[in-house]
Amino acid sequence: MSSNLIQPHPVGAALVVGGGIGGMQAALDLTGAGIKVYLSDNGPAIGGVMSQLDKTFPTNDCAMCTMAPRLVEVGRHRDIEVLTLSEVQSVRGTPGNFKVTLNRQPRYVDEKKCTGCGTCVSNCPTHNHVQPMPTPPVELEPATRETLSGIVARHKNRPGPLMPILQEVNTALNYFPEGALRYVAQETGYSVADVYRIATFYSSFSVVPRGKYVINVCMGTTCYVQGSQRLMDKVSEVLKIKEDETTPDMMFTLKGVRCIGCCGLAPALTIGSETYGKLTRQDIPDIVHKCQEVA
Amino acid sequence: MALTLQELHQKKDEAIKQVQLRGKTKDLMVCCGTGCVAGGAFKLKDALDKEVAAKGLGDQVRVVATGCNGFCGQGPLAVVMPDETFYGWLKPENASTLIEEHIVKGTPVKKYMFVSPETKQPIPSLQDIPFFHKQMPVVLRNKGLIDPEKIDDYFARDGYQGMGLALTSMTPEQVIDQITRAGLRGRGGAGFPTGTKWKICRAEKKTPKYLIGNCDEGDPGAYMDRSLLESDPHSLVEGMTIAAYAIGAAQGYVYVRTEYPLARQRLQKAIDDARACGLLGQNILSTKFAFDLEIREGSGAFVCGEETSLIHSIEGNSPEPTQRPPFPAQVGLWGCPTIINNVETLANVPQIITRGAEWFAGIGTATSKGTKIFSLVGKINNTGLIEVPMGITLRDVVYKIGGGIPDNKQFKAVQTGGPSGGCIPSKFIDLPIDYESLKEVGSMMGSGGMIVMDEDTCMVDVSKFFIQFTNDESCGKCSACREGSEALLEVLTRISDGNGREGDVEFLEELGEAIKDASMCGLGQTLPNPVLSTIKYFKDEYVAHIAEKNCPAKVCKPLIKYYIDPDKCPGCTLCLKACPGGAVKGSNKHVHVIDQDTCTKCGECLEVCPPKVGAIVKLSGKEALYLQSLAAPVPVKEWKARRAEEKRSGVQNQ
Repeated sequence: MSSNLIQPHPVGAALVVGGGIGGMQAALDLTGAGIKVYLSDNGPAIGGVMSQLDKTFPTNDCAMCTMAPRLVEVGRHRDIEVLTLSEVQSVRGTPGNFKVTLNRQPRYVDEKKCTGCGTCVSNCPTHNHVQPMPTPPVELEPATRETLSGIVARHKNRPGPLMPILQEVNTALNYFPEGALRYVAQETGYSVADVYRIATFYSSFSVVPRGKYVINVCMGTTCYVQGSQRLMDKVSEVLKIKEDETTPDMMFTLKGVRCIGCCGLAPALTIGSETYGKLTRQDIPDIVHKCQEVA
Repeated sequence: MALTLQELHQKKDEAIKQVQLRGKTKDLMVCCGTGCVAGGAFKLKDALDKEVAAKGLGDQVRVVATGCNGFCGQGPLAVVMPDETFYGWLKPENASTLIEEHIVKGTPVKKYMFVSPETKQPIPSLQDIPFFHKQMPVVLRNKGLIDPEKIDDYFARDGYQGMGLALTSMTPEQVIDQITRAGLRGRGGAGFPTGTKWKICRAEKKTPKYLIGNCDEGDPGAYMDRSLLESDPHSLVEGMTIAAYAIGAAQGYVYVRTEYPLARQRLQKAIDDARACGLLGQNILSTKFAFDLEIREGSGAFVCGEETSLIHSIEGNSPEPTQRPPFPAQVGLWGCPTIINNVETLANVPQIITRGAEWFAGIGTATSKGTKIFSLVGKINNTGLIEVPMGITLRDVVYKIGGGIPDNKQFKAVQTGGPSGGCIPSKFIDLPIDYESLKEVGSMMGSGGMIVMDEDTCMVDVSKFFIQFTNDESCGKCSACREGSEALLEVLTRISDGNGREGDVEFLEELGEAIKDASMCGLGQTLPNPVLSTIKYFKDEYVAHIAEKNCPAKVCKPLIKYYIDPDKCPGCTLCLKACPGGAVKGSNKHVHVIDQDTCTKCGECLEVCPPKVGAIVKLSGKEALYLQSLAAPVPVKEWKARRAEEKRSGVQNQ
């Protein structure tokens, strides 16, 4: 900034407390007005909550795309001094002349030289695992607990126990209630996040309750060229639900699945272990009624 | 009870004797593969059993539940052995006639036989049916001939002889050498030489080593691995034991899809039986070699067919692929050297050991040896599972084995390689099928799905279907695949919705190539193939969709319209009753009209309109513009009169 642009009134500096998206933008706006900014945050890095999000409401914009330019700008701006690991102790004075005391935690790393490569974290022999907060034991209904503990005990000592356990739990409970996932995590030593990640990865698992009958319409290539989309539309019309939805009476869940390997029977659908093949749209109401009668 | 090699030979002789003893009796081989079971094969078997018991024929005839016979289009089906009489489309009610006529009186029942489409004559013998005639069963040599749940049946068919030979008289290096000389390549799709892979793993110092049989058959339209496990599970157990001996593994896993319960159940029985005979476990055949097998179940994720992803799934970690190298043969399951082979590859191994590398290398083409199983499905007369020598032409497969296209429709393309493959147009009908030739025309072998498409299949719709699939199944780890498939899908949807723009085709090509280059695992590297190959061979269809808003195959809903031809409509009200949306207007003896604004294009009216009337037509593009349509229903008589009047005045004008 050239010297002939000096502000008419002498200004000092501003402290922005909190280095989230709002704090960063405020800091940038202030420097734009020619004010020196101290940006403080109690965490070890700026970025705040938004840096943990994928998309943001209401426009569903990519969070990182909004964040990244501001992070970079704040980081390199000569008029912004970032004070991390700092908490405000006291504020004294009047507008125009505040005195703020910050309590700064030690970092033990020279911030000027650190490139943020993370090698020290992975190489630290003693402190490189996060100490989890002590969590209270998971509470479950006695019947569920009994089922689950049986399943866990059967597989716990096998190598790679998580998949067999989750498969059996999924069969036994028809879906994963949150408590069940927490219980499995607690008993196997996996983190809840790991268990949840597996539970949401596979298409035959579900974390929401499903109907008594899961209608799987095969959407494999063979069935598709033989018109399985039209079958799907018909089932959807008969049950008055869309794909991946469950009827309000918890009887039917409608799903499209990838090839069930019955290409000779295309187009086909399965309900439980029953397979219905060579279907036309006219067959659908009968099949649904049959299930309803059995129930 | 552990068998020695000698005892194994004795077992075989005994089993053969058992079969010979049965020489005078007949075997009723009822196909109980998943396809036939869904069609009611177990009910058929029960009916036959009851009938046999009721007639007291227990010592003359044996009803056997076999694995998949292959001719799925004819199911439920049964073959009477040793006569080799093939009966298709059987119902439980047919059981008594079948037993009475064929078994008691000894006259085969003509009305249940396969009828030749050319001569319209029933064909009595299985071998004379064109579907079976051109095939060459090597891996599936036992399909439909043995009870998959009886180990003795497998013994009688040279079972475990290859393993006996390998374990007692060959070194692991000799086994690897024989596989290399045979030229066996991975049947999972990519075609990597199996011998080379094993050699790399053998050379690794680190122990323990693992062997994984990959039966996560995710390609839609492919079910050869499932049928293999359902019809001959012991061949996999034997193949895996030999492979484990060659690489030095003591533990093996078979990763089976959750969608295949019957295959898992039969494989488990085979493993248990083999263990009971000492063919798995410690000191196999009284040698120092130890090996055991365990089944691991998938849970429905396409990406788990990728080897690194499959390993993570077994470990119980998030099943995303990881960068190779290091290859699993060096660093695999639990950080140890691991060989992952497709189930079909492993089932080839016992045959190569017993019959020799030269025999195997004698089948096929210069670079692709042996046979390949394909599932021949889609718009084809003889749907089923076929095993043919490499190098067979598409023409032989589609017309000789497959019996051509139903309803005299035009053959358009064959899709191979599932979502990673491409569409081969009809001009390549004389293409010999092997790894290289398929790659040259922009497709790939894949696991062996072969989906036949006719003129009613829209290529834009097909590529949209595959991209929807891969977009859904992309694990999301690398952005080229995650975002790329999303962008491809968006453009394809736009085109099939009739909102395509100029330059879209070029964009698809450019993006496709970029995704191929930038993706980490096989899923992403191959996902643009269906789009690129259809653009290469069917560009005119893309252009028709974009420029003329015309779907030539009349599939893409936004581009088609249903019309009732007033000259043909007799006013029968069938379509009126069938229409779920109330879009058909009319009443009895009135020419019906479809209200285009309410029509959801479900096609229900077209289905119910009797073929001899044929009043309802599907139109697309320009033809839709020129069709004359009525504004409101008119009595049929009045319309006819009006037409006659027009004709008369037309004649007068001339």
